[in-house]
Amino acid sequence: MSKQNGFHVVTPLLESTAMSKQIGTTVYLKMESSQPTGSFKIRGIGYMCQNVRKKYSKGVICSSGGNAGMATAYAARQLKLPATIVLPSSTPQLVAQKLKDQGAMVKVVGKVWDDANAEALRLAESEGLTVIHPFNHPLVWKGHSSIVHELKASLPSKPGAIVVSIGGGGLFCGIMEGLDEVGWGDVPVLCMETVGADCLSVALKARDLVTLPDITSEATCLGAKTACQQAFEYSKRPNVISEVVTDLQALEAVELFLDEERVLVELACGASLAAVYSGVIQRLQEEGRLPKPLDSLVMIVCGGGSMNLAQLQHLQAVIRKRPHL
Amino acid sequence: MSKQNEFHVVTPLLESTGMSKRIGTTVYLKMESSQPTGSFKIRGIGYMCQNVANSNKSKGVICSSGGNAGMATAYAARKLNLPATIVLPSSTPQLVAQKLKDQGATVKVVGKVWDDANAEALRLAESEGLTVIHPFNHPLVWKGHSSIVHELKASLPSKPGAIVVSVGGGGLFCGIIEGLDEVGWGDAPVLCMETVGADCLNVAWKARDLVTLPDITSEATCLGAKTACQQAFEYSKRPNVISEVVTDLQALEAVELFLDEERVLVELACGASLAAVYSGVIQRLQEEGRLPKPLDSLVMIVCGGGSVNLAQLQHLQAVIRK
Repeated sequence: MSKQNGFHVVTPLLESTAMSKQIGTTVYLKMESSQPTGSFKIRGIGYMCQNVRKKYSKGVICSSGGNAGMATAYAARQLKLPATIVLPSSTPQLVAQKLKDQGAMVKVVGKVWDDANAEALRLAESEGLTVIHPFNHPLVWKGHSSIVHELKASLPSKPGAIVVSIGGGGLFCGIMEGLDEVGWGDVPVLCMETVGADCLSVALKARDLVTLPDITSEATCLGAKTACQQAFEYSKRPNVISEVVTDLQALEAVELFLDEERVLVELACGASLAAVYSGVIQRLQEEGRLPKPLDSLVMIVCGGGSMNLAQLQHLQAVIRKRPHL
Repeated sequence: MSKQNEFHVVTPLLESTGMSKRIGTTVYLKMESSQPTGSFKIRGIGYMCQNVANSNKSKGVICSSGGNAGMATAYAARKLNLPATIVLPSSTPQLVAQKLKDQGATVKVVGKVWDDANAEALRLAESEGLTVIHPFNHPLVWKGHSSIVHELKASLPSKPGAIVVSVGGGGLFCGIIEGLDEVGWGDAPVLCMETVGADCLNVAWKARDLVTLPDITSEATCLGAKTACQQAFEYSKRPNVISEVVTDLQALEAVELFLDEERVLVELACGASLAAVYSGVIQRLQEEGRLPKPLDSLVMIVCGGGSVNLAQLQHLQAVIRK
């Protein structure tokens, strides 16, 4: 809609009175849930697709947990490029339908992202398509970095911390790139994941890029078994903190956010929101890993388009019946 | 957050694939639900409060409201370091009063509907030297709201085929008409949506006279002004303005569908506009020849609303479906 360069919009940066009360400092919500297709993905993927158009391409292909695919389909439709999306079977049905509504061809392959991705690479080779990687490409990170430029233009001063969900680490890489560009390279960045979809946290602890054997979290959008190399490198910086919450904590965060801020986000997004709602920030302050008091906190509300009331009820049933998670 | 002297944000204008499929033309959602305090009110009320602060003559601001205007007043006053008093009718949900206090405002509860709270606000303004921030009936409020159309003009590829807006007292409607005139879109059809039992504009339009409703019987309490403002009534006489009414049930179903399809929870008052698409009002108006067929793009003003949560939604579901 916007006449600016790119398919994303400059998203609202809103104070959350409730979160601010909870942690005793101003919490700003960067509402990526308000993007076309419902998540931040349109930034990096829109940017990459625009670059594809300049070359001679038979179309784009993307493997994704849904949001990257939606962003690819949307950007491709705007650019009049054919789009093929390859999805793992863990993706909710409504996502596949929405992709077709955007004019994309949809193929369902494998159980987790890594399987769908292998098929996408194979098809790209055999059919001459350009691969749009959901998270592991410099053009995607560059597109995502626009989020920090918007923060720089909107915030009265450098934030005390930025909270972000980690799947494969693409958003995180974009944020680190953006922070370096605007001179905020020392701002603490809190990387949030869920138990069972915590490839970055596991890699940090092992001091090596580790591949998870399987994804056992319900937050399937965080479901990359291996973080990208660049994310792993960035995570070694002293200002980067990696934390993990349970699916239940992420779910409770989604419910509370809907109640207090009136926006329904995916479980993957709940992982970041739980940093405030489940007391992770406060604990990090007590441990001396975050300053106390903290200058403002920016919560990247990554959003997510494949959530609805039925999906929420499904997650509530599944997550609350598990005894110890 | 913005470094400009304004408190509202330029809100996202998003295509709704779900709505576009339903009516066969591109539907854009102007997401006023994304405003600070959750509704479009911050535009006009922020603008007016800024004027009050600049005048340096006021001991503070006072506002009577169904919640959203009060929230916008409290928020803008806090940013401006102005004392704020908010007078609410008893029909306002409890969580709204708490949120107002969180913004640093003094809260008083008076009367059953907006008109009662407003009378008390006027009295207190006189006795305590406060400036009244009217929820909808002031040129400064309309001017502030008109910014919404300037944003549409900057974002849309061409003039829309129709704009849909909820009408309470008519303040947003006035701001939109003013904005449309300013950008040269004065002939764009504007569909004014209300609910049965909170339909002061529709009743006045039919009576060809500014009528006061005896009571508000809709659950959409944010639309609950018994009389539309004079300017809204005047604008409603224009040939491009259409007034329609939906039931509380249709508004509720629209809220539920919107949450499901667009993942945003809005108030019942906002559901009244959304129902224009979800309940087939657009299609009917096209069949009746009152809207063109095919229609150029449709802009849905998603007015939003901050005083809804899951418990409130469940309450409305129980009350309306009984």
